[in-house]
Amino acid sequence: MQIRDLVKRIFLLEIIKGMALTLRRMFTRAVTRQYPEEPRPAMPGFRGLHALAKDDEGNMKCVGCGLCAAVCPSQCIRIFTSEGLRHEKVVERYEVDTLKCLFCALCVEACPYGAIVLTRHYEYSAYSKEDCYMNKERLLENWDKYMAGEVGKEYFERFWRPMSIDFEGSDGQAVFKGVKGQ
Amino acid sequence: MIDIVRLHIGELAFNIIIILVKTAIVFGVAMLHVAYATYFERKVIGHMQVRLGPMRVGYHGLLQPIADGLKAFFKEDIIPSGADRPVFVVAPLIAMFATISSLSVIPFFDGFVIADINVGLLYIFAMSSLGAYGIVMAGWASNSKFSFLGGLRSSAQVVSYEIAMGLSLVGVMLMAGSLNLSEIVKAQQGYWHGMFLIPQFIAFFIFTVGMFAETNRAPFDLPEAESELVAGYFVEYSGMRFAFFFLAEYVGMIVMSSISVICFWGGWTLPLFLVNALPFLGEIPGIVIFMLKLYFHIFLFYWVRATLPRYRYDQLMSLGWKVLIPLALVNIVVTSVVKFFL
Repeated sequence: MQIRDLVKRIFLLEIIKGMALTLRRMFTRAVTRQYPEEPRPAMPGFRGLHALAKDDEGNMKCVGCGLCAAVCPSQCIRIFTSEGLRHEKVVERYEVDTLKCLFCALCVEACPYGAIVLTRHYEYSAYSKEDCYMNKERLLENWDKYMAGEVGKEYFERFWRPMSIDFEGSDGQAVFKGVKGQ
Repeated sequence: MIDIVRLHIGELAFNIIIILVKTAIVFGVAMLHVAYATYFERKVIGHMQVRLGPMRVGYHGLLQPIADGLKAFFKEDIIPSGADRPVFVVAPLIAMFATISSLSVIPFFDGFVIADINVGLLYIFAMSSLGAYGIVMAGWASNSKFSFLGGLRSSAQVVSYEIAMGLSLVGVMLMAGSLNLSEIVKAQQGYWHGMFLIPQFIAFFIFTVGMFAETNRAPFDLPEAESELVAGYFVEYSGMRFAFFFLAEYVGMIVMSSISVICFWGGWTLPLFLVNALPFLGEIPGIVIFMLKLYFHIFLFYWVRATLPRYRYDQLMSLGWKVLIPLALVNIVVTSVVKFFL
């Protein structure tokens, strides 16, 4: 045993082993991604830039209940509503300060109608704070840009199932009565 | 043509011009090599760590050294208020000129050497010791504890490793019978093996370890120990002065690699038995052979840096004094005895 150790020390076996390892690694493929040229595609269900969902007719799903704003831990959602002609609630302004947002997606979970989503888009850096402040129009635009069609459907089916799907409605009023069909 | 010029301007002026031209060539080529040594170091170490290294400036980052040089040139030159100004200014120049002037005695191929002096090897040792003064002075003049520790470490390290390195080359001197670097290369041709690497393998090992310590490269980069001393002796330097230290380090690498090539690997020659077996090898110009051997050594620097962690200070000292110096002395005795009886 001692002779073996001595041989090991004299011929620097450990060092040679280490050098062989580094040399082998030199000829393996690097794991680096050259980011702007090779972007990392976000996985489905990724929590990126916000968007306000539209239904099949192209109308905003949001009803202005304010649950998202209430649950938001960083309080980055602001909603201003007013009363419409037929006494319905009208969402006048819906604003998200994306610089404050921590992308927890609690708003998406809280929304009973699946009206707010976090898209897969994450490259929206800008030179001014104003450019990162999303108003209603920009949020709806984001839906068309990043979530329209199949992407949006998959998003709700696989990841963020809105509670309204599970609602048992009675007399025009939505009341949560557990998951349908169970 | 050349003879007419020589007749016209006289022998002395002609020689001076030849020397100046040679100096310009060696200096230019060495600077280019230093620039691209930094690039290939980053590339090689990057790939060894499964990264890519510089990729942005030019194709695969090939223009990176130029960008780095420009950056260093235009950076603000800062001298700390507590620094010893003249020493602070002079230190990088000493470090740089000492190493660059070592290049003047290195024969790159047969007959191409700026100063073919008989004490070439000794001159190299003198210059590399002088280079350590630059480091010690930089550490002392910066008025910073990190620099100071780096300088102290460097002085102790150089003292202990220069001895081992010098002693290891005594074996080569004994076998070659000369200190002239061209003569050492030619002497190797006289032996069947054609390289002192084979009979002097112990000396080669000691020299290689000493080479890493002498150039302050990993695993003996204690004077600049990034993780503990920030950058060691050149913490307080910026801009061009910083670049001078960088230059000194890389030229030092080239000089030490050249010495190893000349003393152990047969310089610009290949072993005779190899050339006899494969005659086409004799057609390769000497400079190509020299450069390939040199590149291997520089690659070795990178390779070791990518592999080994830094030695602890007491380990460094005990390795130098307790292992390398006795080993070098034994090597000298054995070489002398063998030489005496053969």
